[in-house]
Amino acid sequence: MHSKSKVIWIDGVSCYGCSHSFYNYPEIKELLEKIELIYHPLLPSNEFKFQRCDILIIEGAIKNNFLRLDFDLIELISKLINLSKKIILIGTCSVYGGIFGEGVLFNKENKGKFFKYKDKIISIPGCPPHPEWIAYAIEMILNKKRLILDKENRPKEIFSYTSHMGCVRNEYFEWKIDAKNFGEKEGCLFYEQGCQGPYTHSSCNKILWNEVNSKPRAGTPCFGCTEKTFPKKNLFKTETFMGIPANIPLGVSKRAYLTLAGVAKSLKNERLERKLIDDSE
Amino acid sequence: MIVNKKIITKIEGEATLKLYKKNEIIEFAQIEFWQYRGIEEFLKNRHYLDACVINPRVCGICGHSHLIATAKAIEDALNIEITEKAKILREITLGLEIIQNHIKWFYLTLYPTIKKIDFFKAFEFSKEIAKIIAIIAGQFPHNSYAIPGGVTCDLTNLDILKIKNSLKKMFDKYQNVIDIKGDSKDLENLFNGISKELGKSINKFLVLGDNLYFKSNGDVEFVKEEQSISFNKNVLYKDEFVEVGPLARNLNNKLIKVIYNSYKDSIYTRIFARIYEVNLIFKYLLKIIDEININEKSYIKPKNCSGTGIGIVEAPRGSLIHKVEIENEKIKNYEIIVPTQFNLSNGTKNKPSAAQASLMNENEKFADFIFKCFDICAICVSH
Ligand code: SF4
Ligand code: SF4
Repeated sequence: MHSKSKVIWIDGVSCYGCSHSFYNYPEIKELLEKIELIYHPLLPSNEFKFQRCDILIIEGAIKNNFLRLDFDLIELISKLINLSKKIILIGTCSVYGGIFGEGVLFNKENKGKFFKYKDKIISIPGCPPHPEWIAYAIEMILNKKRLILDKENRPKEIFSYTSHMGCVRNEYFEWKIDAKNFGEKEGCLFYEQGCQGPYTHSSCNKILWNEVNSKPRAGTPCFGCTEKTFPKKNLFKTETFMGIPANIPLGVSKRAYLTLAGVAKSLKNERLERKLIDDSE
Repeated sequence: MIVNKKIITKIEGEATLKLYKKNEIIEFAQIEFWQYRGIEEFLKNRHYLDACVINPRVCGICGHSHLIATAKAIEDALNIEITEKAKILREITLGLEIIQNHIKWFYLTLYPTIKKIDFFKAFEFSKEIAKIIAIIAGQFPHNSYAIPGGVTCDLTNLDILKIKNSLKKMFDKYQNVIDIKGDSKDLENLFNGISKELGKSINKFLVLGDNLYFKSNGDVEFVKEEQSISFNKNVLYKDEFVEVGPLARNLNNKLIKVIYNSYKDSIYTRIFARIYEVNLIFKYLLKIIDEININEKSYIKPKNCSGTGIGIVEAPRGSLIHKVEIENEKIKNYEIIVPTQFNLSNGTKNKPSAAQASLMNENEKFADFIFKCFDICAICVSH
């Protein structure tokens, strides 16, 4: 019989939202039974000690002069990285820095302190990351399957989608009908309310949060929480340039987008201009 | 006297507990939090709406309370009224956050300090509770659906039906943890061989929030912060240390009062109040969900752009206070006081805080158990 893979889950500067997101994974019990979880900051586990492990999971950002388990955080991470075969960075904090500091692999746009270990790192950004993504990364390593990664080491099976894909407001996006206000079923949040869905790498609107919903579906703009730029300023307002969104959907030129938007706007969609549900015939 | 310094983990962060003891008996205790994450600074000069995204990240387990406190503080500052519908939806999501918190705390944090338990039980509830929050708010953890002026969602009756059915199902299931009569196998098993008199404290209680069915018994005006030996500040009410949280806000419940009369503010009473509160919240939510008028507006656009305000909510661990100063839609100043600061202040031997008092004169083998019964949130403290 094979011995189980040893996993250490360590926390940097964090809010523990990544852990709590993972707790919502429907098969969490089965997954944790497949591994030997040597240390976790919240789940019952043994006292922390340095040791070799197959998978190191890092949640939270890094920061100078920050103590963790009575060690300097950066020294702690550095030692653990050297003792582990594979590393999964979970959360935007640990990949890029997020709100609390620097990331392990990147420091926002730039290379991070541990960039030289890129080859053994898998990035699972998100604030928090979807529980399925975390489980997927662990399972892929356990099953020795090949992960196709993009240039920021994010698995393409998750991050080649945009969070715009699957949104129930897609029809409004097609016809360039903006939401008139927050708190309404109708309209797309791309033009006024700051939605970053069309240029944010994430499969959340495809697989859905908690299996039922997503922020844009609930009328909240996508904040681009999986990206190195998170959190931008003015998260509830679309930055515009000459009257159109300054950031346009991934993969199209500004000109192409402008042309398309102009045509869509001129060809009114009568059905979508109205309230979805009312007493009219 | 022997001093024993111990790092406490598994409390959403870390703290150091310094125990001064004679033989095995704790004479005095000091609590230190040493981390700082700088959220309040991070907010400065940002548009006030950004706080609805940043502040939930104070804490992964009670971030929703921070969101609601944020929305309320800004609404207070800018003189904003919201609709009844928006109010009820916020009550539901906040109530549900408290519920998932308590269940996780009981099985994941508290139980393992004394006895082995199948802690996956917690997730069977919490993931379903998170799902109900997500129907309303988009996701859990970390949504931003409550914004000054109301909520971003626009539910249909189908959603309401789904929420109601799930609430009922979870309420039923929870009867196996502790039923409405207060019987709980898991709680009795936890105290099997342990005195229910353990960990009595200062017997002074404060409730500042008036969300859900809670009734405030104080005024935020008398809350003061003062420097302490630790990185976090002490928090006092009328110059006294007080206890906040489920015990404080449920003392008017008949059943909890009976237990309180027998065991005073021991950890048994504290734990009972906490897990029993879940039943009371479920009942309350099942009542108010029928009061939603789906045709009301979800959101009303704010008109003002400057002002100062305070937002208070009863969060899972007790009274949470947010204060904001807004100038021309930008945040000039932001301050957060969290419940753990009240309960875990550093007083003196003669004037101890709630957590210190409950540790004093007890055997050190119960230190972790007593300490964690306050449901400490180190990460909230180090915002
Ligand atoms: S990535 Fe987001 S959810 Fe995860 S620790 Fe950082 S702030 Fe919290
Ligand atoms: S609201 Fe956002 S995610 Fe949804 S369709 Fe519009 S741009 Fe895309």
